[in-house]
Amino acid sequence: MALLSVSDLIVRFRTHDGLIHAVNGVSFDLDEGETLGLVGESGCGKSVTNLAVLRLLPQPAGRIEGGAVYFEGADLTQVSESSMRELRGRDIAMIFQDPMTSLNPVLTIEEQMVETIRAHREVSKAAARTRAIELLEMVGIPKPETRLRAFPHQFSGGMRQRVMIAMALALEPKLLIADEPTTALDVTIQAQVLDLLRKLTAERSTSVILITHDLGVVAGMTQRINVMYAGFIVETATTPDLFARPRHPYTVGLLHSIPRLDAGDDEPLIPIEGVPPDLRRAPVGCPFAPRCAWRIERCWTEMPPLEPLIAGERVTTTGPAATHQLACWNYATAVEASTGQPLRDGFVAAPPPATVIEALAAAGVDPGAGLVEFGQEGRS
Amino acid sequence: MADQTTAVIVRSTPRASRGLWRDALRRLRRNGPAIFGLICIAIFILGAVLAPVIAQYDPTIGNLASGKQGPSLAHPMGTDLLGRDEFSRVLYGARISLTVGVVAVLVGLAFGTVIGAIAGGAGGKVDALLMRITDVLLAVPGILLAIGIVAWLGHGQIQIMLAVGISYAPIFARLLRGSLLALREAEFVVAARSIGTPGHRILVRHMLPNALTPLIVQATLALATAIIDVAGLGFLGLGPGDPRIAEWGEMLTDSARFLQSAPYLIFFPGAAIVISAVGFNLLGDGLRESLDPRLKR
Repeated sequence: MALLSVSDLIVRFRTHDGLIHAVNGVSFDLDEGETLGLVGESGCGKSVTNLAVLRLLPQPAGRIEGGAVYFEGADLTQVSESSMRELRGRDIAMIFQDPMTSLNPVLTIEEQMVETIRAHREVSKAAARTRAIELLEMVGIPKPETRLRAFPHQFSGGMRQRVMIAMALALEPKLLIADEPTTALDVTIQAQVLDLLRKLTAERSTSVILITHDLGVVAGMTQRINVMYAGFIVETATTPDLFARPRHPYTVGLLHSIPRLDAGDDEPLIPIEGVPPDLRRAPVGCPFAPRCAWRIERCWTEMPPLEPLIAGERVTTTGPAATHQLACWNYATAVEASTGQPLRDGFVAAPPPATVIEALAAAGVDPGAGLVEFGQEGRS
Repeated sequence: MADQTTAVIVRSTPRASRGLWRDALRRLRRNGPAIFGLICIAIFILGAVLAPVIAQYDPTIGNLASGKQGPSLAHPMGTDLLGRDEFSRVLYGARISLTVGVVAVLVGLAFGTVIGAIAGGAGGKVDALLMRITDVLLAVPGILLAIGIVAWLGHGQIQIMLAVGISYAPIFARLLRGSLLALREAEFVVAARSIGTPGHRILVRHMLPNALTPLIVQATLALATAIIDVAGLGFLGLGPGDPRIAEWGEMLTDSARFLQSAPYLIFFPGAAIVISAVGFNLLGDGLRESLDPRLKR
């Protein structure tokens, strides 16, 4: 049985602007010791999925409106708030994006670390302090005895993220959720922090969910990757498989928007045009359709299900033999994936059908907004 | 030569930060107006504390024969209608104004903090209800509210403290609630929740200390208005109710009739009110500047 099993998770936010469809039926499994990457643009539901797992959605707007989150067999959406509180930190811990703001500015590192340890373990202050020193040493903070008495603002960004890692690992959780842990750091510090994270979680065979929009980070850190778009998982595969055989147009687009040093001069960067969809609209059809060069008419009206790449294949959800699955009616071929655009004679990205335009207009939305037009590309 | 270079380098490195409060104190020391305010306040506190030592006369006993004398060596601020030494009365008045002002602000802080913390911590319907009540109280001008409360509770120092304090409570409640609401979504609060810190502990240990600085600033500024409000109540005849007690506001009422014949009787208590209020105001502004991390240099 998987350590964590998210099934058909639906999260919505009730705001003054209406309902936000943040996560629309996400399912994935995670084994002990596995590192899973969640990749996608900002606002595609990566962080919300994980806040929902820990039941830390902003209240009262955010709600889990469907699905289940099984952790060691128990459904976390059903357990009481007090057992949830015990579980946080002890079994599942989280590292946040910005180490500048995720430490309390008015408390010393010692107060914050001792508090974390004592929230879950009945140990004396002195024992908790000794443990805190050990942890700081472990994450490579020099002179931990004196640094303990310092305030967060007396640390550099990289050092603060190390402190955050030390706090998150203080209780040896089984699952660590790292939400863009290095986005706010310098590149050189990024590598150090990722290295540390990898080393410490491997030693304890801690499972990790690594949320990032940086494909370079996931490439070196994870065993499996879920690509998310507009609250859906659109493609999932083992890391080597996904980089070798990207098939979903969005994944292809992501891979082609990273500059590569080994790219030939004739290989242009192909940015993904347009912006992610407005999550205030209930999803109809594939959310990526307005920006997709491969779209066909069916994409506008029907959301494709997440299915194995090789039709009929038995689905394995975890481990190194996990099945490559994607949600796409008209996915890219190997050659198209490597060039980044559809190469079919006379193929034109389908314009939205009249029914869709009418439905959008009836809902008061400009049907042209966010729509990327593609010329007659084909084989040229 | 080498030594000199090192010295220059050492001096040019920014001084190590020593925590929020020490940093703030350092910035406050460089703030001229705030220091001036602090000196004004210090003079009044010294005057109030040392009144029995400094004052040459009993502020409650006068000699009718020597009433309404202008300032002289024997009576530096003159004497009032009943022949009481004005200087002694201003000194003893400082005791009343400062204690009543400080206690009133503390009362306001106590009520306001509790209401604000409950509203900001609980949120939802509790918050909505408490804030509507606060809005109603805020809609009534503070001094009017205080007059109403004194009229209801009767004369006396304790009543004034309560009245002025309660009229300030809504301001503190709103301020604290606002800071707490902003802090609720702060990343370190979510981070504290993510490691299983209990809710009450997050409120008391993580959120309240971070919401404290605007409250401290507001309380200092409120001291200035409290002194004016207390004097105002005294001036309107809603003072301590004992004519023997020297209270700046009541001293103004008593002397207002002799504005032309004995203007010094108005001038000295008036100046005392203005200078102490300005002192607290300047200190409050200075605190605001030195506690605001955005102005950090």
